[in-house]
Amino acid sequence: MTDIPAHLPHRYPFLLVDRVLERVPGVRVVAEKLVTNGEPYLQGHFQGRPLVPGVLLLEMLAQAAGFLEGDSLHGAAIFLAAVQDARFKGPAFPGDRLRLEVASEGAFAGLMKVKGTVRCDDRDLCTASLLVKRL
Amino acid sequence: MSDLKLRVKEMIIERLKLEGMLPDQIDDGAPLFGDGLGLDSIDALELVLGIEQVFGVKIEDEAAGLKAFKSVQALTDFIAENAKA
Repeated sequence: MTDIPAHLPHRYPFLLVDRVLERVPGVRVVAEKLVTNGEPYLQGHFQGRPLVPGVLLLEMLAQAAGFLEGDSLHGAAIFLAAVQDARFKGPAFPGDRLRLEVASEGAFAGLMKVKGTVRCDDRDLCTASLLVKRL
Repeated sequence: MSDLKLRVKEMIIERLKLEGMLPDQIDDGAPLFGDGLGLDSIDALELVLGIEQVFGVKIEDEAAGLKAFKSVQALTDFIAENAKA
């Protein structure tokens, strides 16, 4: 069982990974985020019609990609350097169990390219390529 | 223009989405980064992945990249030297 707070420096209300289901550092990670009614951003996005902002689906993929790194990210400087070909194919609602799948496409000079998909049940909600830079 | 050099230029244009640019417009000797084509580190990673995918040649580290990315001519030579077949 991966100790999430020990690996990621993110904290409430911005820690967006609940569980790591599969992890092969440098290759592939599958993580999970259960969207609850208590998520603070749902209060205003939107009032009476809560749905997860698309940019937060990208952030979930970025946080899941943090587990591609073998070492803890505490004290490390890791930045999102680019988002490419992002597609939002369906909304994510409170109660949804989101499956965050990320796989490395390759790395060079401290930059890693990651292909990610957010799925719920058998639907793709979001696909994107992220470039993550470690300084 | 050699066949390989043309393919290298086409790969650069496609991979970096340099829409509207023609292979002839890329100077063989101009640096890919900085003053030449003006590419950045994100483009460098895209090129590394493109070169591996299209030509089966790996650029292992920054030292190899420094050599290979000097110019289109240098990159073509690098690929010719390191291609298996």
